[in-house]
Amino acid sequence: MKVSFNELQGLSRKAFIGIGFAEGHADDAADMVTWMESYDLHGLEALNLGLEHLIGEDPDTYPEILYQDSDLAVVDGHNLSVLRACNLALELAFAKARSRGLSVIKIRRCRQRQLIMGYLARLSARGMNVTAFWRNAQSPLTEQVVGFRANSTVPSIRVYAVEEVPEENEPNDGITLFMANHVDLLPTMRSDFKYDLLAKHDESELLAVRERAMTSGIEVSGELWLRLKELAQYALVESFDASRLGAGPAE
Amino acid sequence: MIDAVLQAARVAPALRQQSLVMDLERLGTLVPSRLSFARSLIRQMARQRWQITQEYFALDDGGYGEVIYRVQTPHGRYHVVIFSQHITDEERTDRVIANAWDVTFGLVEGDVEDSLFTTLAENVPLQEAGRQHPRLLVISRANKSLRNFEVFVQALAAGKQPPVEAIREVGYLYRTTAVYGNGKFGIADYGRLQGNPDFRYPFSAQMTAVYVLRQFSIDQAEHLARVAAPETAVPLANELQRYLGIGNSTGLGMAPFLIRHPQLINQWIHAREQALATAKAQIPSELSRERLLALCLRAQRYLDETSVENTAQAERNATVVEELTDIIPWLEQIALHETLWQQLTDWSEAAQTTDTQELLNTLLIELYPESVDMLEDAMAVEEKLELIPDMPLVQLKQVIETQFDWALSEDFEAPGAKHWFWYQSVEKEEPRLGVRGVDPGENKELPLAIAPRVQRSYAALSEFLQSNPKALTIDFLLAQPKHMESIRRIQTMATTAYGEIQGNLWHRDMKPMHLLRAKLSFLGANRFDPRGDRWVRVTFFQGAPLIDELNGEPTDLFAFDDWSYALAPTDLKVGEDFDTVENHESLV
Repeated sequence: MKVSFNELQGLSRKAFIGIGFAEGHADDAADMVTWMESYDLHGLEALNLGLEHLIGEDPDTYPEILYQDSDLAVVDGHNLSVLRACNLALELAFAKARSRGLSVIKIRRCRQRQLIMGYLARLSARGMNVTAFWRNAQSPLTEQVVGFRANSTVPSIRVYAVEEVPEENEPNDGITLFMANHVDLLPTMRSDFKYDLLAKHDESELLAVRERAMTSGIEVSGELWLRLKELAQYALVESFDASRLGAGPAE
Repeated sequence: MIDAVLQAARVAPALRQQSLVMDLERLGTLVPSRLSFARSLIRQMARQRWQITQEYFALDDGGYGEVIYRVQTPHGRYHVVIFSQHITDEERTDRVIANAWDVTFGLVEGDVEDSLFTTLAENVPLQEAGRQHPRLLVISRANKSLRNFEVFVQALAAGKQPPVEAIREVGYLYRTTAVYGNGKFGIADYGRLQGNPDFRYPFSAQMTAVYVLRQFSIDQAEHLARVAAPETAVPLANELQRYLGIGNSTGLGMAPFLIRHPQLINQWIHAREQALATAKAQIPSELSRERLLALCLRAQRYLDETSVENTAQAERNATVVEELTDIIPWLEQIALHETLWQQLTDWSEAAQTTDTQELLNTLLIELYPESVDMLEDAMAVEEKLELIPDMPLVQLKQVIETQFDWALSEDFEAPGAKHWFWYQSVEKEEPRLGVRGVDPGENKELPLAIAPRVQRSYAALSEFLQSNPKALTIDFLLAQPKHMESIRRIQTMATTAYGEIQGNLWHRDMKPMHLLRAKLSFLGANRFDPRGDRWVRVTFFQGAPLIDELNGEPTDLFAFDDWSYALAPTDLKVGEDFDTVENHESLV
């Protein structure tokens, strides 16, 4: 089924509130999912794959700082979805870059990493150059780099398989982020080592996709839509005759 | 020296204080101004020579069927597609929980080809229960004023005009019960309108659809009169057509909008306050004094002859009429002075009710279109609350103390201070109020009350600061993430003057009506007739130029725009025979 951007954002927000996200955090998570889907970057697919895990997460657990100095921080994501755990870690990186020119943040142990892009877009719109790096799979080993130039909400994305796998290849469930005040850090493929470029999305192509989504709507599976509606119900209050008076007397 | 000071004041006129302007009760006395969206839209239509024509008319003898109006602008073409159906009296309710309406309609971008019409016919009448097409910019529904409809059709069928009193008592034939935009139920997102020069003012697409519905209400009534008595039926007199508006019935659903769009509210109120400050800083002339006197007299007569059912509102209207009686001789007698408008508003503020003060402010704004109308370009904004994570926490604390002092001073331990809580019902997600500690749903409370959130965050960050005196905002939020939204709002809104409504939305004596009226006034609604404190009926476009007048490409745009405070026609031969329809073929 086709839905509008606003409809998807609104229902996602209610669903996140329904599963225990605090106000504000639910808005951010909904924005992240909807932003990604509006660029046809499979935000809903990513949400759907991790939805049941997300529902089971402890709503009172938040990311924890393991180490930080003026320009660097290491954060434990506690194996939570980035929807739940990353907005404030990214704001920390933003604050450090503002004061030091460049910051590096490593978020360890987090899930649904693709979805982080929506919040990166938000930070770049606030004038920050942002690049994120993570490994998607171990076999074949694939890596993803997402870069936003300051004041642009559209990323450049590269996904590639590494042919020469290093000996040290421990699973990597983290994300490394770089933020810079004055220098853009967009990904450009340049390497002496062999790789196989799997996906390449540039700003102009993504803008066209977004335009289409705004004109024709966003495709959502009926099943996921119903599931989100079901979750959103938890934030609503049962109705009965007397409660109708809570909206005023019938005319 | 004094001249220099006055000149400086004219360059940067003083805006009124936030605490005065954003007081909830004062917001509940606002009336539509020339910056209201209905007024802006009609000006834009005339300036750009929009043409609105009936393209398809297929109503049966009961008035049921479909009608399509074409809206042609310099930039694009749109259609208002209207579906009229029979419903029972039991089905007719204005609440959001209704499932059927007398008419449903939508504003479509572009042409309505057959396949699109079929889709609209299957879904628009269902409203929320349908899947709406992304080329719809607006969908809405309306119910008949049964009382007026019957009177109108019978009179016209008998070759007579309906009595003016019918419109004085109920200013419309139809009242809308919701007008949806921005992606609701699958229609086009607001983002689609952002680059569209036809609908760059907030709610202008919605206002366009409602304006066209007014014409439909006239066309349908005349059609039914012709069906009932083809030999004797007459069209509705132009004066009555103009005096007829479109009603709207609004409940609590509108209230959360104002709290959730503080940046937008800031734009609206800021524009109005700038307009007022600009007007007050002008040097009055005899001409402007005469114009203000004429406007006062018109507003006074309008309120005097407008009938509302709500007793308290009727009393408020009567008080304004009385207080305008004081203003008029004062204004006639006093010598013209550079600071006359300031003196007038100072006196009104000291001696008159808030209703009269704000009406007077609105009339002052009316005097200076050339200085004021440009402010309508500043009414839209993209709502985006953002953190400033690197703000030192001690600075944030000071920001709260200076900018949110109104929230900190609220005493939530006082009796009645925490009486209500806001929630959303499973029934069509209708916003409702429950009594705290009595009604179920408190654990799912909507966080609409800003003051308690500010107090909680302030207390938490003050404590955090004691052990972390050099902390930044982000340090506090990483330790206590649940305060993020509150802090984000505080940091964003601290840079604005008028975004936060200063009132305790939990208080037992809080009147949601004030919230509804504030927004409705900016939309352009008048004739406020509350049903209790959570429900209100209003009228749009009463007195507005007719579509025929618009299509006539008016040259005097000032006169075309001067339609506020519509007065009942006085020289109409009500009840007497009029020409039959055959002599007015162009009307349908």
